[in-house]
Amino acid sequence: MMETRQTPAMIGRRMSNESFITLFMIGVLIALFGVACAVVPRFYLPQNMINLLTNNWYIIILGIGVTFLLITGNFDMSVGGVIAMTGVLSVYFCQSATASQNALAVGLGLPYGVAVALALICAMGIGAINAFFIARLKVPSIIITLGTMMIARGVAQIVAQGAQRNTSLPDVFGVLGNFTIRGTSIKLAVLVMVVLIAAAFLFEKKTVAGRRTYLIGANAEAARLSGINVRRHLTTLFIGSALLAGITGILLSSEFKAGGSGRAAGYEFDALVISLLGGVSIAGGFGSVLGMFVGAVILSVVTSAATGLLLSPDWQFTIKGVVTFIAILSQRFALDRRKG
Amino acid sequence: MNGPKEESPRTQLERANEARANFKNIYIYVVLVLIVAIFSVVKLGQVEFFGRGHFLSPDSLINLLRSAVPILTLSGAFTLLMISGYIDLSVGSAMSLSAVVFSWLILNGVSFLPAIMITLVMGIGLGFLNGFLVMKLRITPVIATLVTLNLFKGIALLIVPDGFSAIKSTAAKTMPAWINDYARKDVFLGLPIAFYIALVVIALLIVVQRRTLIGKYAAAIGGNRTAAELSGINAVKMVWLLYIIVGFFAALAGMARASYMSLGDPLSGDGMELDCIIAVLLGGTAFSGGEGSVAKTIVGALIIVCLTTGLMTVIPAFWQVMAKGSVLIAAVVLNHLLVREKVKA
Repeated sequence: MMETRQTPAMIGRRMSNESFITLFMIGVLIALFGVACAVVPRFYLPQNMINLLTNNWYIIILGIGVTFLLITGNFDMSVGGVIAMTGVLSVYFCQSATASQNALAVGLGLPYGVAVALALICAMGIGAINAFFIARLKVPSIIITLGTMMIARGVAQIVAQGAQRNTSLPDVFGVLGNFTIRGTSIKLAVLVMVVLIAAAFLFEKKTVAGRRTYLIGANAEAARLSGINVRRHLTTLFIGSALLAGITGILLSSEFKAGGSGRAAGYEFDALVISLLGGVSIAGGFGSVLGMFVGAVILSVVTSAATGLLLSPDWQFTIKGVVTFIAILSQRFALDRRKG
Repeated sequence: MNGPKEESPRTQLERANEARANFKNIYIYVVLVLIVAIFSVVKLGQVEFFGRGHFLSPDSLINLLRSAVPILTLSGAFTLLMISGYIDLSVGSAMSLSAVVFSWLILNGVSFLPAIMITLVMGIGLGFLNGFLVMKLRITPVIATLVTLNLFKGIALLIVPDGFSAIKSTAAKTMPAWINDYARKDVFLGLPIAFYIALVVIALLIVVQRRTLIGKYAAAIGGNRTAAELSGINAVKMVWLLYIIVGFFAALAGMARASYMSLGDPLSGDGMELDCIIAVLLGGTAFSGGEGSVAKTIVGALIIVCLTTGLMTVIPAFWQVMAKGSVLIAAVVLNHLLVREKVKA
């Protein structure tokens, strides 16, 4: 699509602001990593670097959906709840129907494939509810997705009776989440993350729909007038985001061979934080998936450095908060300087 | 929890419109009465009317009002902020942090009044920070207050010593028993001083909204910020002030919660922002600001408290999240229908 190319204005080909911010955050990442290596013992070891890139796969997968929605100017706070719901439901569908007297051990006894498909459909249902209220009724996304967060988690709590379901599961249930690539410690889930990031990157840069996402974020009314079906586009994005959360829920529940109703509490905030660290702006059509990935690595460098310095895990909230504010302000400062 | 459908004669348009307007004004009271009615008949098989365990028994009502103190204290100020078109998602965490700080002070030998003063000043500080981030640094309200939500909660968790879930009596230090007095001790009609303070706060905020410039300016900013600024309102200062007011009352609510539970739980305020949003939406305040009513929010808050308390007696605890989520969505739908009618009219 032609409009994606920034027309070379005065000084040759100028970098787009998104690439500029991504590069800026990569610089920040390298600086932070250097500091962490200097301060924290054994931070530079290759295994640690691999961990930094791969340990947060679930947040990064969520971050893809959250990033695109944030670019259009919408929040999705329901992703954490959807993870818990899909996890619990996939276990419930899969548990054998006749195994025991215990209510938490009796499920529907469906084959694993069917169970996963049904759980994912339920996840997309939550996305559809989001889309209905936000795209059609024009209700602020933050309010509705907080409501569907509670509904999704509520389903998880009801099905798991406020606890978790983890018994009488077939062996096949644990395969997906615990499969590792031969000879390495890299999990299938990480591979899924890499594929999804690559796909999202291509979607963002090379497809018409990807570029339309930005136009909707910059000016939804103008996008509508220029013939974009904004409603359908937002619906697709919300359902897509819920589907990504569903996939994450399936992988996590398979890894632990359990569906817990309390799982993934606060993941929606982490996904939002990495998007913001990566330079996504709620104010109008700005940001990139690559930036979000860099933001995720920054967050994992900062939090694991803090853990390495033996700070109590309670510091995590505070660190995330402070880092996010610094990131938002420094990115705005950098962009202002660039313009001026 | 749907309100009754209005049954106006559709033959005459004017009368229909009038009925609709009336319905809009009274529906929230109808909903409250309906909910109270439902909960007072639902267990009649097991308990006597007004007897022990009945929803409307004196004991149960006193309990209900005592546990309602935090949201009654907070939701009025929250309404003013939403009328001006802004939001503060950090109120729950501000409450938790205040509860933790308040009980930490008392556990460490500070007496009642100084502890209150320090906590309230801190609440003002929290509101000041939110206002600074949103109005001065111009960070989107949802994002700024979502981050401070986690920031405040993080600080509250840091204050609580490792290995404890809350600030409470330990082997070394005992929490003085009088921490309970503020939110539990019977001063009049079985209700504690915190409840009467909440009533004063409500009355004060209703007057502020209806009779003072703060209320008028908030509505003007929520309606059209540019127009408000062009007509000489300093929107930055005004909304900043509203954030500070919200922070102040969040601290007051947090102290009531700490005194009620006799401990400082760093998670005790979780979800309060949602309760406030539900109350405000039920009260008919528009999403985008511009108009609303503190008095109706208070009715909305009572609806939530009745629902939460009442549901606890009839369904298992793990249904609560689902119930509250559904109420939020229902409130959104109701609010949407009402606001759209207003646009048409």
